[in-house]
Amino acid sequence: MKTWFKSGSPWVWLSAGGVSISLISVLGLLWLIASRGLSYFWPSDIYQFDMQDQAGNKSTVIGEIYDREFIPAEQLAHADITLAPGTTTVERLLVKTGNRELVSLDFRWLLVPQITETTTPEELVVIERRTNGNFYGFIEELILDGQLVPQSKLPELVSRVEHFQEQIDALQKVDIGAINYQLERLRLKERKHNLDKTLTAEVKADIHGQMATLKSEYQQLESKLLALREEIARDQLKVRAMDGQVVTINFEDILKVTFNNQLGLWDKTGVFFSQVAAFVVDEPREANTEGGVFPAIFGTVLMVLLMTVIVSPFGVVAAIYLHEYAGNNALTKILRIAVINLAGVPSIVYGVFGLGFFVYMVGGSLDQLFYPENLPSPTFGTPGVLWSAITLAILTLPVVIVSTEEGLSRIPAAMRHGSLALGATKVETLWRIILPIASPAIMTGIILAIARAAGEVAPLMLVGVVKMAPNLPLDGNFPFLHLDRKFMHLGFHIYDVGFQSPNVEAARPLVYATALLLVTIIVALNMTAVSIRNRLREKYRMLEH
Amino acid sequence: MISVTPKVLASDPEQLDLNNLSPEQVALGINNLNLYYGDKQALKNITMSIPKGQVTAFIGPSGCGKSTLLRCINRMNDLVDSCRIEGEINLHGENIYNKHVDVAALRRQVGMVFQRPNPFPKSIYENVVYGLRITGVNNRRVLDDAVEKSLRSAALWDEVKDRLHESALGLSGGQQQRLVIARAIAIEPEVLLLDEPTSALDPISTLTIEELINDLKKQFTVVIVTHNMQQAARVSDQTAFMYMGDLIEYSDTNTLFTAPLKKKTEDYITGRYG
Repeated sequence: MKTWFKSGSPWVWLSAGGVSISLISVLGLLWLIASRGLSYFWPSDIYQFDMQDQAGNKSTVIGEIYDREFIPAEQLAHADITLAPGTTTVERLLVKTGNRELVSLDFRWLLVPQITETTTPEELVVIERRTNGNFYGFIEELILDGQLVPQSKLPELVSRVEHFQEQIDALQKVDIGAINYQLERLRLKERKHNLDKTLTAEVKADIHGQMATLKSEYQQLESKLLALREEIARDQLKVRAMDGQVVTINFEDILKVTFNNQLGLWDKTGVFFSQVAAFVVDEPREANTEGGVFPAIFGTVLMVLLMTVIVSPFGVVAAIYLHEYAGNNALTKILRIAVINLAGVPSIVYGVFGLGFFVYMVGGSLDQLFYPENLPSPTFGTPGVLWSAITLAILTLPVVIVSTEEGLSRIPAAMRHGSLALGATKVETLWRIILPIASPAIMTGIILAIARAAGEVAPLMLVGVVKMAPNLPLDGNFPFLHLDRKFMHLGFHIYDVGFQSPNVEAARPLVYATALLLVTIIVALNMTAVSIRNRLREKYRMLEH
Repeated sequence: MISVTPKVLASDPEQLDLNNLSPEQVALGINNLNLYYGDKQALKNITMSIPKGQVTAFIGPSGCGKSTLLRCINRMNDLVDSCRIEGEINLHGENIYNKHVDVAALRRQVGMVFQRPNPFPKSIYENVVYGLRITGVNNRRVLDDAVEKSLRSAALWDEVKDRLHESALGLSGGQQQRLVIARAIAIEPEVLLLDEPTSALDPISTLTIEELINDLKKQFTVVIVTHNMQQAARVSDQTAFMYMGDLIEYSDTNTLFTAPLKKKTEDYITGRYG
């Protein structure tokens, strides 16, 4: 035993154990969010349950099985449900029944003993809609242009509607959006002239002329939009719900029609991938509980990139000063400790600082100076993507400074001496020799900064993130990048969907899916940075002799 | 306090009288040089003249101040915060420690090669032209010519001419050291300082470098620090023996190794200490 201790193998076991625990927790976390998140996209079978309750009333429930659990029998006794004697636990199913316009809850619990029959009829249809969530039921009638048509025409109709929807979306978002944006700019221009006292009759006439043209264009587009809507409204679908009610659904409302029970494994895989794709590229619907998360992905990535662009030069310059120019005295040491301690400040504190300093002070002054025509509605004096990026840049600054300094101090003195002995000045040595060699260390700092910033939510809630942003910070209207706009963020989206939404049960898988996406994006950002670093390392590696 | 022993051998025409060099013969005149690291004195009142176009070697046991003295010549000691220097070193009759001297320009006149090869992590070509690019030379033809000329002078051209644009770090230790020498002579200095240039190299590379030093003295004044007495005997024309910051003896190499005047020198070269 003593020799075993002396041989050091217990320590090897101990450290190996530590590594395995870390590995298992990381893999377990990924597995959990991946399995929960991805199952959201898998088209599950639709069941029809025939029920008979205590009093002998028969009913039918249609839906997909969401969850199952065992509950103690006593719990049911309180609810006046008697069971066969001797049963201690009862299984119950959580079934998603959808049809939000008919029943107030999407979900209901079914006691397994009360189910008399479970079937999976092939004609059962799932209709994904713009409003009111999914509809589960049977198709009764198909109406095209007010005429009854055979049910076999359904796929044709769905694609026709898709085509119309695309046109409508393009009209609404792009064309009408651009006109609104231009109108707003003209209004502001007039106001600015007014404030500057340069609003001559000529200028005014010009602006109003432009406005009139835009307005007539707007009206044309609007009538076009209305015509499209009208055309689409003539297509209808009559469906029968589980309780026998027949409901009319306008095609306008329909996103997707699938017969889940008819799908083979191959078809289901196809549906799965198209659902994943839709999640990534679509915009959220129904208070974020349905649809995709594209604006949040876009906001997250844009904000992180902006942050990187801001933090890198500042961090590197600060590290160079600390390492190369500041004297090696007590003040430098205090500065260095202060920088390291900055990394330990809770992130919400940075959020408060960002709100108070950047948003209200800096942004407020910018508004006074450059955007007086907008006041009292603020342009930069309100939370936005720029202030979020700057706040996170300050938050991650210590990380970049520390790792850059580390990189600078790892460079052998022989490199500096070699350059200085050739008649280079200190600055030339820095630019031509030191910084290129230190670039992998700088990249390491940036990688750590990205990893930290992409996962940060708390400060963003104060300086720019919103639940629902009407416009992306980047679009086709000049100046294209709108740094003053608010944005959506995946981290905040998770919080919002999971804990602030009206329909928490329905949103739960969405939380996992969004979390998986956030992790994927952070990993992708990091991998990009790591591959850049490895390339730099390869270029500037030091061979030992 | 220590005077350099006059050593005149009239029979040898190459032999210089180190105490009575004419101004044209002197490359560097070191005058009453004292150097302190904090409170510790590392060089004590050194006075010597280093002749032009010859190889001068500094020898002595570790810590005797020979490298420190070498580094004074191109002011590399400026990089040490606690270092304080009194006295003067004259180059072209001007003290290099004068206030208005441009240190970068001085270092272009007095090149230096270090103990361990320190090529930059760039291509062979970019290593050689580094000093020229610093001075603003960017003409491709000028740079190409300088690369070939310097690499030929450093006896490296034939080995690397086909891979000038590959990383210098792929070269062997001996090749790297010759590359560093090529880099130093590409900016055409007057004086070349070599600080134990072969101490990190194998015997064959050492031999190549020693042959190279013999060629280099045709163009440059070479000052070499070495802890290897055979090397000093092989490559140098003059040798200075230093001990504990003092210059003990300075004379032509032959005399110093065959008939040293001082007991300490004799003890050292016969291997009694050091």
